[in-house]
Amino acid sequence: MVQPAPGIIRSQVNLRRVGAYVLLALTALAFGFLLATQLRTQLLVPGNRVARTEALVRTVQDLESTNSAYRAQIASLRGQIDGLEAQAAQRSEATQRLRDDVATLRAHAGLTPMRGPGVTVDLGNGRPGAGATDYLVNFQDIQDVVNLLFAGGAEGVAVNGRRISPMSSFSGPAGTVVIDQGNPLYAPFQVVAVGNRSQMEQLLGDAASLGGLRNRQRAFGLALSFQGSPDLSLPAYDSTLESSFAQPS
Amino acid sequence: MRSRPSLNALVVGILTGLLAFVAVVQVRSQAEVERSLGGVDSTTLAFLIDDLHRANDALGADAATLSMRRDALRGGGNQVVDAQLNAEASQLRVAEGLVPVHGPGVVVTVDAPLTPLDLQDAVDNLRVAGAEALALNDRRLVTSSVIKASGDAIDVDGAQVHGPWTLSAIGDPTRLAGAADQMTRALRDDPRVRRAAYRSESDLVIRSTVVQRPFVYGSS
Repeated sequence: MVQPAPGIIRSQVNLRRVGAYVLLALTALAFGFLLATQLRTQLLVPGNRVARTEALVRTVQDLESTNSAYRAQIASLRGQIDGLEAQAAQRSEATQRLRDDVATLRAHAGLTPMRGPGVTVDLGNGRPGAGATDYLVNFQDIQDVVNLLFAGGAEGVAVNGRRISPMSSFSGPAGTVVIDQGNPLYAPFQVVAVGNRSQMEQLLGDAASLGGLRNRQRAFGLALSFQGSPDLSLPAYDSTLESSFAQPS
Repeated sequence: MRSRPSLNALVVGILTGLLAFVAVVQVRSQAEVERSLGGVDSTTLAFLIDDLHRANDALGADAATLSMRRDALRGGGNQVVDAQLNAEASQLRVAEGLVPVHGPGVVVTVDAPLTPLDLQDAVDNLRVAGAEALALNDRRLVTSSVIKASGDAIDVDGAQVHGPWTLSAIGDPTRLAGAADQMTRALRDDPRVRRAAYRSESDLVIRSTVVQRPFVYGSS
């Protein structure tokens, strides 16, 4: 038997070891590529999501400026119409009587500014805690405060400068309040009511009122306070009151 | 054996490079997400966009109507003014619940011991879905209507009402039916509810009216 030279054995071992390292390196590379591909698909989604969300935010902002412009236009047109009606009323008593009737109806619909004694209720978000969105002021909270104020003898109510009408509705995702056709409103909220000040103050001060809000005030530090005032002002309603389906019988 | 450290270095190098790459990409995308979202997710934004489109359409139509009214007033005499004032008075009496009304809508019936808050939420749901006139057990409702507890019964603007509850709403029939369907499904999951159903009507009549109270405190 011819024994292989010790040097040949060593070089074969070395070759095998080098091969193992190359294999390891190739495996690591392949793994790296696979990982990178996987990450690319996963991380590009958030990347696209960011771009999509930014596009959505821009769309919301554009729609909000259109919304404000329309409401300003509606307020201005109502003012111009009122001026032209006043001129016509000077020429005819019948027109004047009609105009007085409509003025009362407009006032009760919130279509004219109002001032008088009342209360201001301030609401603000609390600190995030156990309940997912319980620390945020939601549309139901605003709805509850508005209902309480009407129960206390409010004759007119406005939320963050948006007057409540006889057909007003409240909606919106958590932390957002949408009233009628207006822009979404966010905390802090200020609900102003003109009417029976002492009765409204009494109801707001009653621990049995606004139970849900008071519980969340304790649990999440939600802000809830009110203040009476001898003279408050409410703006006119600046959205639509058209009835397209309900007709007088 | 000299080749061993360099191969190890290569493997370590590749892995380190990969780690750095992953870390950078991850941190970057996280920062972008936090900077641009501002706490509002895209589903919420999509809902807001939908609402704003519908709101802006309604406001645009209203602005166009008011614009035509103004132009007619500019060119017309007192007859035009009187006609417009009469039309507006009629419209406002409907909005303020002062006259009986009819039109397409839904009737939701619920047999359950509902609370004033449940009823207020149900009424608001229908308003959000475009209800133009509403009545609860034949009591006409506007935003200022007061629904509160009164012993075992519920007091609606000073009148006691008892369940089972009937909510009548006149407005866009498609949207109202959608809201009524969703609402009755949710109510049926409520253990207190014995029965919750709705029906659509092509010409629903709401006869009850609200009495207008003169202002005591507010002035213009």
